[in-house]
Amino acid sequence: MTGVVTLNPFSPQAAAISHLFIAILIILGGIFLLVTALVIVAIIRYRDRPDAPEARQVFGSHRLEIAWTVAPILLLALIAVFMIRAIEASDPPVGDEHPDIRVTGHQWWWEAQYPSSGALVANEIHIPVGKSLLVEVDSADVIHDFWVPELARKIDAIPGHVNHVWIRADRPGVYQGVCAEFCGAEHTWMRLIVVAEPQADFDAWQSAQLTNPPTPKEGMEARGLQLVKDQTCLNCHAISGLPGHKNIGPDLTHIAGRQILAGGAASNTPENLFRWLKDPASIKPESHMPNFQLSDDSVHALVAYMETLK
Amino acid sequence: MSKSKLAVSLFILSEANFFALLIIAYLYFHAYPGEGPTAATSLNAYRTGIFSIFLFASSATMMLASRSYRAKSSAAFGWLIATLVLGGIFLFGQVREYMELYASGVTANRSLFATTFFTLTGFHGLHVAVGLLAIAAITILTGVGTLGTSAREADAFGSVEIYWHFVDGVWVVIFTIVYLWAFL
Amino acid sequence: MSDIAASDRIAELEANPERIGFLSWVASVDHKQIGIMYMLSALFFFGLGGLEALIIRAQLAMPGNHIVTPDTFNQLFSMHGTTMIFLVVMPVLAGLTAYVIPLMVGARDVAFPRLNAFSFWVQLFGGVLLYFSFVAGGAPNAGWFSYAPLSEPAYSFNNGVTYWILGLAGVGVGSLAGAINMAVTILKLRVPGMTIRRLPLFCWMTLVNSFLMIFALPVINAALVLLLADRLLNAHIFTPAFGGSAILWQHYFWGFGHPEVYIMILPAFAIISEVIPVFAGKPIYGYEFVAGSTVAIAFMSFAVWAHHMFAVGLGHLFDLFFGISTMAIAVPTGIKIFNWTATLYQGRLRFTTAMKFAVAFIVMFTIGGLSGVSFAVVPLDWQLTDTYYLVAHLHYVLFGGAIFAIFAGIYYWFPKMSGRMLDERVGNWHFWITFIGFNLTFLVQHLLGMMGMPRRVFTYPDWPWWMTLNMISTIGAFVLLISVIVFLWNIVSSLNHGEIAGDNPWDAWTLEWATSSPPPVENFDLVPPVHGRRPLWDLKHPERADELVAAAAGK
Repeated sequence: MTGVVTLNPFSPQAAAISHLFIAILIILGGIFLLVTALVIVAIIRYRDRPDAPEARQVFGSHRLEIAWTVAPILLLALIAVFMIRAIEASDPPVGDEHPDIRVTGHQWWWEAQYPSSGALVANEIHIPVGKSLLVEVDSADVIHDFWVPELARKIDAIPGHVNHVWIRADRPGVYQGVCAEFCGAEHTWMRLIVVAEPQADFDAWQSAQLTNPPTPKEGMEARGLQLVKDQTCLNCHAISGLPGHKNIGPDLTHIAGRQILAGGAASNTPENLFRWLKDPASIKPESHMPNFQLSDDSVHALVAYMETLK
Repeated sequence: MSKSKLAVSLFILSEANFFALLIIAYLYFHAYPGEGPTAATSLNAYRTGIFSIFLFASSATMMLASRSYRAKSSAAFGWLIATLVLGGIFLFGQVREYMELYASGVTANRSLFATTFFTLTGFHGLHVAVGLLAIAAITILTGVGTLGTSAREADAFGSVEIYWHFVDGVWVVIFTIVYLWAFL
Repeated sequence: MSDIAASDRIAELEANPERIGFLSWVASVDHKQIGIMYMLSALFFFGLGGLEALIIRAQLAMPGNHIVTPDTFNQLFSMHGTTMIFLVVMPVLAGLTAYVIPLMVGARDVAFPRLNAFSFWVQLFGGVLLYFSFVAGGAPNAGWFSYAPLSEPAYSFNNGVTYWILGLAGVGVGSLAGAINMAVTILKLRVPGMTIRRLPLFCWMTLVNSFLMIFALPVINAALVLLLADRLLNAHIFTPAFGGSAILWQHYFWGFGHPEVYIMILPAFAIISEVIPVFAGKPIYGYEFVAGSTVAIAFMSFAVWAHHMFAVGLGHLFDLFFGISTMAIAVPTGIKIFNWTATLYQGRLRFTTAMKFAVAFIVMFTIGGLSGVSFAVVPLDWQLTDTYYLVAHLHYVLFGGAIFAIFAGIYYWFPKMSGRMLDERVGNWHFWITFIGFNLTFLVQHLLGMMGMPRRVFTYPDWPWWMTLNMISTIGAFVLLISVIVFLWNIVSSLNHGEIAGDNPWDAWTLEWATSSPPPVENFDLVPPVHGRRPLWDLKHPERADELVAAAAGK
């Protein structure tokens, strides 16, 4: 979903921040209006005119100084109280819970594992509606930041420093997430989506992720599979049922079931997948995915095979 | 306080902060050492301790030089030479230590200890070298008799002296933290 | 040691008019020439940094633009930030202070004229080194704060970050030497009678700022040394894969980086604290409080650095501590805002261009300060940090704040430096175009941030309103380009045809206005007596001298 996402929460924790934000915006807006009004009144009233009186040589007033020292302190104390009250609700403590999802930032894509089931996905996280899930956030290379503004605070994904954040969506839908910490050339296209769906749908999705896709026996699809084996695809990507379990690039076992491609640089259609395999730079110029100089035929075969990986 | 002494003091404040930060980095990786050589496995506190005594002694001779200078005594030259020699011996000790570490394979990229050790003691050594240059300058001026005792010239002498004591003082801290602490 | 030698040198130059010209600038140790060279170098880099900003905004005008490649885009914003902070705002402020401070305290030069020249040339060298990276394989591309491990050789393949380190070290050494020089000048070279309580606020804040630099610059220098070890010696201080710590870099960088924000804004406060009283025709309201709050800000600025790190996940208690300390620093800042505003009241406000920029500063900086408070509120920071809301915030502080104040200062002191007035009519155009362009560019960015647009992206999805708001911002940036052209035109034409300024065109009170415009090499023939904070006011109104008024009020 899009719009003013920081004020459009779909989880209790995002709502806590959003309510705090509105309260603070009102307070800060009030101060801004006060200062601006004071300045405008002064501009109008004390502007130099031929008949204007001479400036009064006043040096200050201790009373006023105390007033505009104490008043902001009180106001800030109020803000601090709001903040302290909201902090636990905005970012519920982890306790000794085990993570429901392990998210790892890579240049420039997101890996997500579901430890309880073993499902492994990329750039698209599914969650059951109305349930709080603990996400463990880590990085495989540089610092990234996991941010799904409608569902939770942002949290850095730092190599060597494991973080946790609770996410939850109280309404079904597709929520936009993005890497919020600059992480190199393709930082822009390190987006992800969070799909919140009813528990039954989620369970179905999760068990689908755990099944091995069927092996095509003939036609374009079979040729595509052969190409995957012959080329160096499996040096970086894993497809369960095939040799090699690398996570240098996203796991492709169920790539056809995903909505976005290349960290959000394109939607996952056969046409875009063709463009991506033909020339990755045409979609994501500095992606680590090399251009294999494949013929159109080969790419068509690869696309045909990958479209079977639902 | 005179202009130049004030400037040197402000500079020293800044330098002290610089060393403090290098020390924090050293301590951080002392607490989380990771793999590779550490202080306990690489350093010879005993021998560096002896070389340190030369540096500490040079502070004393610098003080004596300054006292003689203010008393317009010709002994100042001798004390300055002594300071140069003592400081030089310390620097020689550090070069020797580096060469031995290098020979035993402890280079700046070998471990986090090694990196922070070499940056910290290396920058200190650089400060010692700069201090020795400054002392050499006033020694030569004193030797050829062109360093008078006007307020300006006394400030120049005093500024070098403050700086030298600072370099010395920093070493007290570094030696304690890097060498003594490692073996506690 | 150096000032006698320097005066000999100046006398020598005076005696040899053929050496006046190019060499008289390059070889100069005169604080006025050095000050002007500082400002010219800053203007040059302002052009480069501005050009980078325009390319960035052009690329972002519409989704899916291909004006530059992603890596070039990253180099551009890294260089834009580094340039504007280290090669524009710091040098132009260093130049203004180098020019004005000795005059204001009634001295013939700074405490160490040669060191002053060294400061300028070494910072210029740092800037040139930084820009040399463009032809040496690529500019730095890890952002202006070069977070590790992205700034490590494993992820940043060109030598850009190495040039960044060396360039910043140059700027750092120059700034440190400059800070020591200014502190000693203010502490030691004041004319008799100018006690510390009678020091003009510009000097007060410069003094405090010098101490801030003396303590903050070694922090970045230490961090740079360690990062350099990582890059050149293959060490691993900041690489977690080999036991190092990525978070340590952030502590070091922001340990410097937040005081750095005040290093850029305190001199801006200093300018405003001179300009507003003069054009209001009355003394600054609450002198002691404006000065005292500066000291408070300087101390507190060292205890707020980790508010840049709330997203790192260092624990609620840690975040709360820094959230509250950051809110606390808003109090002395607020005191200043209120005192400047109170200075306007019961005044007789002359809206010269300098005054327009100064008054606009109050409001623009208030916006930046208030959005800053929203980052002190930890949960809000968790949503808003690293978005365009932050980009908007920092530009309201550094453009609406520092740059507006710098323009005020340039319009105010240009007559003193050149002997001619800047054209007020063109100045009026310059002000309004800047004001409109600035708000057009940055106001909408608050909303973009709230809509979830992260900073440092080279494009964005084509979602409702994203293009419209980005387009407005880009148009604003090009309006700012026009404003800069108008400003340059004003400078060039006024230098040639401007009205002759005279000693004291603004009817101002501090000592620099007691000498001719531009001042002679030795600054003053005779420094007027100083019995109060406004020596020239006292001269003009001996019956109402500040000390008499104060004594009467004390009875």
